[in-house]
Amino acid sequence: MVANGNRDGRPGEALVLKGLDPETCMIVFKNHWAQVVKILEKHDPLRSNTSSNMASAVQNYVEHILFLLMEEDAGQAGAMGPILEFVVMENVMERLFLWSLRRQFTDDMKLEQLKMYEMIVGQARQPLLHHKPVLRPLMMLLSSCSGTAGPEVEAELVSLLNQLCCVLAKDQSVLELFFHTSEDQGAANFLIFSLLIPFIHREGLVGQQARDALLLIMSLSAENQRVAQHIAENTYFCPVLATGLSGLYSSLPTKLEVPGEEWHCLHREDWLQMPTLVQFLNSLEFCNAVIQVAHPNIRDQLVSYIYNGFLVPVLAPALHKLTLEEVMTTTAYLDLFVRSVSEPVLLQTFLSFILLHRHENVHILDTLVSRINTPFQLGTVSLALFQTLIGLYCEDVMLQLILRYLIPCNHMMLSQRRVVKERDFYSVSAAKILALTPSCCSPEHSPPPLRQLDSILWSKGTDNSTEETFLEEDGSGYSCVIGSEIYLDVNYLHYLYNARLGISSCTRACQVWSAPYDGEDPPPEEYQPSALEEAGARGRQAQTVNPKRSHPHPRPRPPCPPQTTDPAPTNQLELEWDDSYDAGPVVSPEAAAAESSRPPQLPAAEPPKHIQEMRRTAIMLVKGSYIEESDFQDDVMVYDLVAKKDARDTVDCRRPSRETLPESEESEIDSNLNLEEDHFKESSLQEKDEVPLSNGLSLPLHPTNMEVTKGSKEVKAHVADHNSNLQSPSAEVGDDLMGQYEELIRTLGSDETGTGGSSHVKTVDKEFRNPVVTPMEEDEVDFSSFSVDTPELEKPHSSLFGTKLRSGSTRSHSVPFTGPFVSVLLSRLENMLDNSLHVNLLLTGILAQLAAYPQPLLQSFLLNTNMVFQPSVRSLYQVLASLKNQIEQQASTKKDFPELITSAQHCLLARESSLKDSRECSPPEAGRMMKSSPPPQPKTISLARTEVFATVLFTEFLKELAAIAQEHSILSHVPMEE
Amino acid sequence: MNLNPFWSMSTNTGRKRSDGEEQSGEQQQQQQQRASPARPSFGKKQLPSIPKNAVPVTKPASPAATAQLANGTHASYGPFYLEYSLLAEFTLVIKQKLPGIYVQPSYKSALMWFGVIFIRHGLYQDGVFKFTVYIPDNYPDGECPRVVFDIPVFHPLVDPVSGELDVRRAFTKWRRNHNHIWQVLMYARTVFYKINTMEPLNPEAAVLYDKDVQLFKSKVVDSVKLCNSHLFDQPKMDDPYAISFSSWNPAIHDEAKERMFTHKRRPEDHQKGLQVSGLSWVKPGSTQPFSKDDNPPQS
Repeated sequence: MVANGNRDGRPGEALVLKGLDPETCMIVFKNHWAQVVKILEKHDPLRSNTSSNMASAVQNYVEHILFLLMEEDAGQAGAMGPILEFVVMENVMERLFLWSLRRQFTDDMKLEQLKMYEMIVGQARQPLLHHKPVLRPLMMLLSSCSGTAGPEVEAELVSLLNQLCCVLAKDQSVLELFFHTSEDQGAANFLIFSLLIPFIHREGLVGQQARDALLLIMSLSAENQRVAQHIAENTYFCPVLATGLSGLYSSLPTKLEVPGEEWHCLHREDWLQMPTLVQFLNSLEFCNAVIQVAHPNIRDQLVSYIYNGFLVPVLAPALHKLTLEEVMTTTAYLDLFVRSVSEPVLLQTFLSFILLHRHENVHILDTLVSRINTPFQLGTVSLALFQTLIGLYCEDVMLQLILRYLIPCNHMMLSQRRVVKERDFYSVSAAKILALTPSCCSPEHSPPPLRQLDSILWSKGTDNSTEETFLEEDGSGYSCVIGSEIYLDVNYLHYLYNARLGISSCTRACQVWSAPYDGEDPPPEEYQPSALEEAGARGRQAQTVNPKRSHPHPRPRPPCPPQTTDPAPTNQLELEWDDSYDAGPVVSPEAAAAESSRPPQLPAAEPPKHIQEMRRTAIMLVKGSYIEESDFQDDVMVYDLVAKKDARDTVDCRRPSRETLPESEESEIDSNLNLEEDHFKESSLQEKDEVPLSNGLSLPLHPTNMEVTKGSKEVKAHVADHNSNLQSPSAEVGDDLMGQYEELIRTLGSDETGTGGSSHVKTVDKEFRNPVVTPMEEDEVDFSSFSVDTPELEKPHSSLFGTKLRSGSTRSHSVPFTGPFVSVLLSRLENMLDNSLHVNLLLTGILAQLAAYPQPLLQSFLLNTNMVFQPSVRSLYQVLASLKNQIEQQASTKKDFPELITSAQHCLLARESSLKDSRECSPPEAGRMMKSSPPPQPKTISLARTEVFATVLFTEFLKELAAIAQEHSILSHVPMEE
Repeated sequence: MNLNPFWSMSTNTGRKRSDGEEQSGEQQQQQQQRASPARPSFGKKQLPSIPKNAVPVTKPASPAATAQLANGTHASYGPFYLEYSLLAEFTLVIKQKLPGIYVQPSYKSALMWFGVIFIRHGLYQDGVFKFTVYIPDNYPDGECPRVVFDIPVFHPLVDPVSGELDVRRAFTKWRRNHNHIWQVLMYARTVFYKINTMEPLNPEAAVLYDKDVQLFKSKVVDSVKLCNSHLFDQPKMDDPYAISFSSWNPAIHDEAKERMFTHKRRPEDHQKGLQVSGLSWVKPGSTQPFSKDDNPPQS
């Protein structure tokens, strides 16, 4: 074999050649060629059988010839060397190719030729491909290899193509020739590119080489419009690439074998064990890389195909599969995909799928959020997905999840809007949060092990001297000493440090956001629910229309649900939204009947024909066969019913605390929750179905109420709220809701003023003014204004106004709602004592992540313990306070609680250090600390004692939140540029 | 990471201030930190290492800390609240950009701030007075902070022996959320421009001002001279972050000056090279996700 022989003999040969002068080489070359020609002419393979002797003789000569060609240097000023000139003049390459073509053109022959070209292209000292007599036979060879061939030929072909692409990337002038030459041959334009496409999704080295080669062409396309245009318009590159993902996806396991209950996301070590997933991720990574380097035309096309050819037709149904395991698996995949994608444009594609796409008229996002509440592993995996999403620092994500519910500022009392941006000078919120520390975990009572270790370290840092010696007196007799070594919870320093890191990186990331979300921008008045609805409808419309621009195959708009007052969709949606894990409403038999008798669902939005076609072909290309998504029609319903049933069972046995409540109170809470959920359903319904706002219901406005608030902008807002609340498809439902709500507000209102209300008012009355006086050179500052005797001009009386407003019924018609995500998170947190350790770790992690966001709306909602919220709004602080009470109750009834706490602390500490050992990503000081600790061997504690672990975690979570609150009070107020 | 909470953050912010806001008119009297620990790079938030010669001051739990327990908070976190309250005060001082006043919390305690005030016109023109602010350890619930000049300036409101300025007359009762330390600093500056002789701490100065302004003026000039002649003295307190002055040394100060001026242009430079990790496709003025015009096509 030519190439093999050459390779082996090369070093020696080269040495010999180096000694030779060009003239001698030329003579040798001509001589050899003459011999070859003689054989070629004598033994036309078509007429007589070429003996193997002859063939090997030719090979021998060719071997030498190619060496001489390779080793020849270019002539003066880039001219051809004499040998190359001879090759071109005599059409050497073409004649060699034709000769082998005339013999039996077996795979071996192809292999031989491919290797020959690979060698001279890769090693020649002068550019060869510029010359048609070299290029043309190469192209012929390539096109002859494009059909079916054995794996060896394929491997060699890809290797050669890769090499050609390298040449292209280095020397773009060859590009033109590639286009022309293939035209001459009548072959597909830009053959080397087309030849690579089938290998895109191939696994192993061949696939990798092909993808590398394609990437080279992709980056070429960024600068070369012609290449870009050709790829986008004349090749199947993008559809093959995108729909190939669908094919690869179909071969992924539909159910993951989960290692344990603690498992919640696919780590590297998990997916490395799954070859199909590795292959999928390779292709996804390739898409990512293409999008990164390719021309915008290609990029946009690819992104569009990924959306319409993979996400919508494959991933969306997969997220709605029949069993919990399947859905859980898909969710874990989605999480992994989002984590694997780095290119913003591709990330945006995934995010817009998650945030905006509607599968069977339900937003994917809503479905995913609702699943957080499932008590199964699906809930945990969903939490992990949201942790990933929140960690992206993406405005669009945060907007859809939380911020859009906070922008109108309806969740707080009217007077509180100005508090949103206020600064917590004295760590009041942190103190209030830390004051929730359960007495059994108080640092004074039982120092956790971590603290002790730290304390040791701490005192080491301050030498051996006794504390007394640190007391220093300066000359003036003022001693400046603060702090105490004994009681300092040094562990808290780590939280502060982490909070600082978290907040600063988040703040930096959010600099690209469009608005500060500080209660003023975006202006709350413009985003009252009714206005938001309209904008939302408009926005979505724009969303569906906008992208058509550069999209070659626009997708028809998904069929809109009929905008009637048909009650059936309501039921369906209720079902969808009935997250009854946490004390949801009981489904009445009537409702169940309505469910079963509901009209058949609208057919799922079919992707357009050409996409389906494309997908099928691409899938055939990649896999051979693929089972199309079967009927998912009733999956959602079945899934929800199953989840609901199971959830109810769990709720029944898991909520002992509820039973201790007096019956009336319980029902009150229930109605509260129901109502909140009803509203939730309703609002989501409005959004989903884009019910027109001109619904005919009129609002009975009491003139007295109007007087109370006349003229104010807020009135309009309330009326708007009111109206939007009446947008229920069924008037009956609306009235009923209103009635319930009126009553609820009354009870809650009186309750509020009776107990919690007074303290609220007190806090409001506290002065929180931050007098920013611009410094004046003239020194005309009236310092008397700083004195206490000065009458305060701007005493906040708006709080009173707010109270009045609430006691009236004007405001009552809009149930303030902070969004499904917050609601679900808080309700899971409420169950902290029953949650398993890892669920709690995820939950608290997500909440801490959210709390680190610098947007005042979010910060004030989560961390400001002085904020006065609407009575129906559940705040993080409220949930934490109720948890503290639950814990205190547990601690008082269980004798061995303190002991158990200590065991749990040791257990968690051991877990922490084992995690740190395995990951080796811990900050050095933490590592040092851990090492110095002798592994504690206390009484073991079962992880099933969730309430004990939750108690420990709760205490730590309080510190984490308090630390974040404290750092916010500094970081968020230091001007950015400093 | 160092484990001393009491100075780390404040020195950081202090550093930023003294780097960025130096006024050119006072260049010849360059502030310089003695024995200052390794400087963290500009704009980068990190905890500096503990200087070897300095030892954090601690003492057993003060009554103030235990008192906080009554408020429903844990005493063990008292020092953290105090530290952050003072940090907040300090950032507020930075925000106010008080003309001619520079302060820096001491290394040893966040309750002690070193300061210097430059008087630019009026009777005390050209005066450069170093002072120390002492903040009560039950801040913000205690008395108002005290301001003590290193050298007792000849002034009706400055105690001729201790150098303490009568601050309390302006802040009869210190009220949290209402009173802030920048106001005290502002007040300390104001007294040099607007002389008040009511209930003086230095009766001689008060009487002179009312009866013989010329003599008062000459005494003030002497006092300013005296203060300025001690400008280059070692700081009164042995603290790594005490403010000390040294005469202009081109080898050191030219470069520092240069850097100060380049810092002004820094923010834009910063933005360019900044690796932005956040994402947004929201069009400004909209609350719709993916509403930016340059979005690639989707569905």
